[in-house]
Amino acid sequence: MTSAATLDAAGPAGSGPGSTGELVFSAWSAVSPFGTGAEAYSAGLRSATSAVGALDPEAYPGPYERAGLVDGFSAAAALGKKGTRTMDRVTALAVSTVGELLERCGSSLLERPERVGLVLGTGSGSVQSIMDFTRDSLTGDRPYLVDPARFPNTVMNRAAGQSAIWHGIKGPNTTIAGGWLTGLLALGYAARLHRGGHCDRVLCGAAEEFSVQRAWLEWHAAEEAARPPLGEGGAAWLLEPGDEARAAGREPLARLLTTRFRAYHRPQDAGPALTECVRGALAEAGVSGGAVRLVAPLGAPGEEYAVLRALPAGSDPEWIRCRPLLGDASAAATGFQLAAVLAAAGDGRPAAGELSLVTGIDRDGTVGCAVLAR
Amino acid sequence: MPSTVVINAEQRAQIKEIVCDILEIEPADVTDTSLFKEDHNADSLGAIEILSSLERTFNAEIDQAELTRMVNLDGVVQVVEEALAK
Repeated sequence: MTSAATLDAAGPAGSGPGSTGELVFSAWSAVSPFGTGAEAYSAGLRSATSAVGALDPEAYPGPYERAGLVDGFSAAAALGKKGTRTMDRVTALAVSTVGELLERCGSSLLERPERVGLVLGTGSGSVQSIMDFTRDSLTGDRPYLVDPARFPNTVMNRAAGQSAIWHGIKGPNTTIAGGWLTGLLALGYAARLHRGGHCDRVLCGAAEEFSVQRAWLEWHAAEEAARPPLGEGGAAWLLEPGDEARAAGREPLARLLTTRFRAYHRPQDAGPALTECVRGALAEAGVSGGAVRLVAPLGAPGEEYAVLRALPAGSDPEWIRCRPLLGDASAAATGFQLAAVLAAAGDGRPAAGELSLVTGIDRDGTVGCAVLAR
Repeated sequence: MPSTVVINAEQRAQIKEIVCDILEIEPADVTDTSLFKEDHNADSLGAIEILSSLERTFNAEIDQAELTRMVNLDGVVQVVEEALAK
């Protein structure tokens, strides 16, 4: 673990003299059921109309009748035929999302590509790719009669690795997996990566694909009463020191104050764990809960009550609820929530100096939050 | 061992299609002797893919040592002919 004393110190080749050491979000984008790009995502949130639709039962013969799909998305359609023949869906979603983000960052971002990190959250990688490859090996004439070009799709870091190769990002490349909290965990990791001096700026995000295989896994993992339609897509943002963002002509949208995580054992302890987690995060950041004006929760039972309990009595923040609009995006869910907060920031919400929270409760015993300041 | 199997025109076209598909090149750009690596930017995974795809398509066993001879279409055809003769 990094000691507290080094947390605020700039790394060896990190932020230069005069840097406040504080990281800001200075660009973001998303490829979501609302469409491709930040504008489509912002417009979708503003309309507050759900992008969850009926699934074609022939194309997706699974347990769910509805899902939030990125309409018409395929690797070849989004990225061209060259180099995408054996690229699976989650990889293509990640490569596209990072591409959209890079476009918003401007071409100067990759002038020193080895100083730009990429931290990407995923689920197990693509469960479809893993299952298809394994089945081919078991059902083919020989166990090794598989398509070797599809093997890279079966490892978890395929999406992050391919995103970097495709776009020429040569800094540290990290894959983070942590269920629903993936986007928050990736954010926390990205901030530590930067503080450690391993890169000058970090592209960070999360991606998830819809497939029949994932649908069955989610179906069996979920409680019978809690099986929201699934969603998919990717969200990503740029983290960099505020002064460097301004020097590059990128206006900071929000400052990252902190991320925090906590574990719980019994399901009934999840809410209190999140309350403690949010209280701890606000205290660590040295800010008052009264300044929280915007919350983007995951959508877990009891989550909103748990957040409110961490805030002063009478707090009435705006809630941006992504799950009803996009479906349960699993590994991309908290990434979508962060993007929603950044979209609101682009619209001027909340006011300068006020705070936004992104929260989540994972069914496997963890809770987490991020505190952002405008 | 001398080859006792001759690849016919249809099979040769099939081989060319596999190669072009994997290397993402236009069939018109590939000659019998143009080199996959030097002329068509093939990498080692591409070569393995071609070998693996040929094994599945022709239900033959091709030793990985043969990769050194599979540098162009003529080389691949020869390797497949020998594999089928076994």
